[in-house]
Amino acid sequence: MTETTHTLIIGTGFAGLGLATRLKRGGNEDFLLIDRAADVGGTWRDNDYPGAACDVPSHLYSFSFRLKPDWSRVFAPGREIWGYLQETARDEGLLSHIRFDAALVSADWDEASNTWHVQTTNGDFVASVLVTAMGHLADGKFPDIPGLANFGGHLMHSSQWNHEVDFAGKRVAVIGSGASAIQITPTVAEMAEDVVVFQRSAPYVIPRPDREYTDAEKRAFARSPELMEELRGDLFWMMEYNYAQRRGVSRFVDEAVAVALAHRNAQVTDPELNAKLTPDYVIGCKRILFSNTYYPALQKPNVTLEPAALDRVEGTTLVSASGNSFEVDVVICATGFEAVEPPFAPLISAHGRSLADHWAHGMRANSSVTVAGFPNLFMMNGPNTGLGHNSVIFVVESQIEYIVQALDFMCTTNISVVETRAEAEEAYVSEIRDRSAGTVWLAGGCTNWYVDPRTNQLTVTWPDFAYAFRESNGSFDVSAFVAT
Amino acid sequence: MTATLVPGAVAGFAEVNGTKVPFEDSLNEGDGRAPIVLVHGTGGSPATHFGYVYPMLASRGRVIAITLADPAERGADELQISDFVPQVAAVMRHVLPATPAVLVGYSLGAVVAAVVAAEHPDLIASLVLVSGWAHTDTQQILRNDVWRELRSSGTDMIKEYSVFCAFGGPFLASKTREEIQPAIDAVVITPFTEAQMDLNRRIDIRESLGTVTTPTLIVASTHDQMVPVRHQKYLLGAIDDARYTEISSGHAVVFERPAELIAVIEKFIAAPAAHPAGSHIPSVKP
Repeated sequence: MTETTHTLIIGTGFAGLGLATRLKRGGNEDFLLIDRAADVGGTWRDNDYPGAACDVPSHLYSFSFRLKPDWSRVFAPGREIWGYLQETARDEGLLSHIRFDAALVSADWDEASNTWHVQTTNGDFVASVLVTAMGHLADGKFPDIPGLANFGGHLMHSSQWNHEVDFAGKRVAVIGSGASAIQITPTVAEMAEDVVVFQRSAPYVIPRPDREYTDAEKRAFARSPELMEELRGDLFWMMEYNYAQRRGVSRFVDEAVAVALAHRNAQVTDPELNAKLTPDYVIGCKRILFSNTYYPALQKPNVTLEPAALDRVEGTTLVSASGNSFEVDVVICATGFEAVEPPFAPLISAHGRSLADHWAHGMRANSSVTVAGFPNLFMMNGPNTGLGHNSVIFVVESQIEYIVQALDFMCTTNISVVETRAEAEEAYVSEIRDRSAGTVWLAGGCTNWYVDPRTNQLTVTWPDFAYAFRESNGSFDVSAFVAT
Repeated sequence: MTATLVPGAVAGFAEVNGTKVPFEDSLNEGDGRAPIVLVHGTGGSPATHFGYVYPMLASRGRVIAITLADPAERGADELQISDFVPQVAAVMRHVLPATPAVLVGYSLGAVVAAVVAAEHPDLIASLVLVSGWAHTDTQQILRNDVWRELRSSGTDMIKEYSVFCAFGGPFLASKTREEIQPAIDAVVITPFTEAQMDLNRRIDIRESLGTVTTPTLIVASTHDQMVPVRHQKYLLGAIDDARYTEISSGHAVVFERPAELIAVIEKFIAAPAAHPAGSHIPSVKP
């Protein structure tokens, strides 16, 4: 079966649902969304491991056009964020536009008809405009470790949690010490017999100022919605302040280190463990983590921190790079995602080239949203759209505005094809290079998932204040396009 | 030699009427836009008032931060705005002899900057007045009376009072008492601060404002108890080519919302006429 639509959106996370909401509210019904799973929610549907939560306060990590007065906590649990997205899809009337269980197989631009031909595992689609709305945290990445694939027990990735596994009496290994690992470790430590955490590189951890909202507060938000907007502004600009640290301004680097150091010293009194938990790079180079429970969990009698990478797996024995062996029943790979080389890139092609070909030397786009040689393709969460210091929903909403303006332009001017000029893409890539010079991601002395290892260019993260993303990329600029 | 606030910057001074006026110059050319000159407020310095704003603006272009100086010949005489105006003009002529700059003044520094723009238009490409005012009113005099009495009584409570006045209610309410203590401990009051507080009682630059022709951005803070928004709305009326924007902050916007202050300054500098004279520029809605 082939369905025809004007705009086809791939993915039903924050980006896809947000764009669809704006289109629908604007009276546009000519769009469809596809998703590889059986429900909406993107990363919040997939990452349902125990303890999953967001590092941005919920009153900011939500749509500005769908404020929610009854968030249960400052940092709502992941399940509640997923519920918010399900409610968005339902309340905004989007469900009838969504085709589930439809994983992308291929998308090809057809020059003869000026349309995208899209094959999925659940039907084919023909669309004038294609929008990729997959996130950076969509495809779990397993580490390439000898013997891991043949591990003799339960093996899972943090984003593909196996809820069948009963942790009682089990010996568990958590591979990694990043944002997922520090959320998983405290909850798994409550359930399992023993837990060992393989830490390749110690993270910076700062306090998580979380608390429940009272019923009175939630009703105050509902009765005076401007309170939510004021709080949102306060949170946004408070987080925006922290860009100075990512920029590498020494005074603010020192200020951030002092916060992390005070937290570690308050929670970890054993000098030996404290030393193992001391990072060896500039703060912010890797993601700064928020947790009040990770350090205490590491000090439980049934938890061991192995300050070394996992070197190899022999049957059910895990051997660290330091030569220590651990016998375990369950391995949880909290090892992150495919961010610099998105797995969808080889599937999207135009004029005989795939996005993966175009990106052989790293992801690139104009205004982080369109790609030269790929007509009528808009990308959300594409190159240089991640934020290390603020809410990515702000970037998502900026991109929604851009795409809505582009679609309006095409509609009102009867233009059927827009294609970014190669010079515009080149100029943007060079601008990104200038902005990113000297930031902690490049100069902080660590390896991170924001930088493409093939080129050492920053291709995942936006290297500036978040507000500057909207200034630079928040509105459609027709001069960057060939329109026909 | 003391370390500069921005790596690679040079520290120097200009001399006017026997007074040395210190400045720091980031020197970097950045993206080629007009250089920015910063003038701090009462009791401040580039390090205290522009500790965030200066290095972040300097990451994109050249910034010169001036330290207002106590005039050498003042003795026991009252300070005048006319003591500071030549200081700013002297630094600008010294550092940027042929390049009009973006002059940014904060609080008392905004009062000084407005008069510099009136008297030395050749030095200025555009003007940003943050939390400034034209004429001291009775609410400000009463506040100043209390401050003066606390000062003469010698009580340490003047530090708490300063923080209470400078920061916005919502900002203070969002912090614990312990979290605010460092701001209280950081309050330093010198005889020069006292002279500036006395000057603040006597501000009246209404006549000068009518002669300012420079494109101007007026920045007000919604919760400012020291120089409430009515003052900035007056400035919007008094300066011909002015536009107005408001930040949800107290008077201490350089501490409470420095990133938003940078956002509004950067946006204005990029296209001063993007918003026509007389308009209110809406805030970013995150």
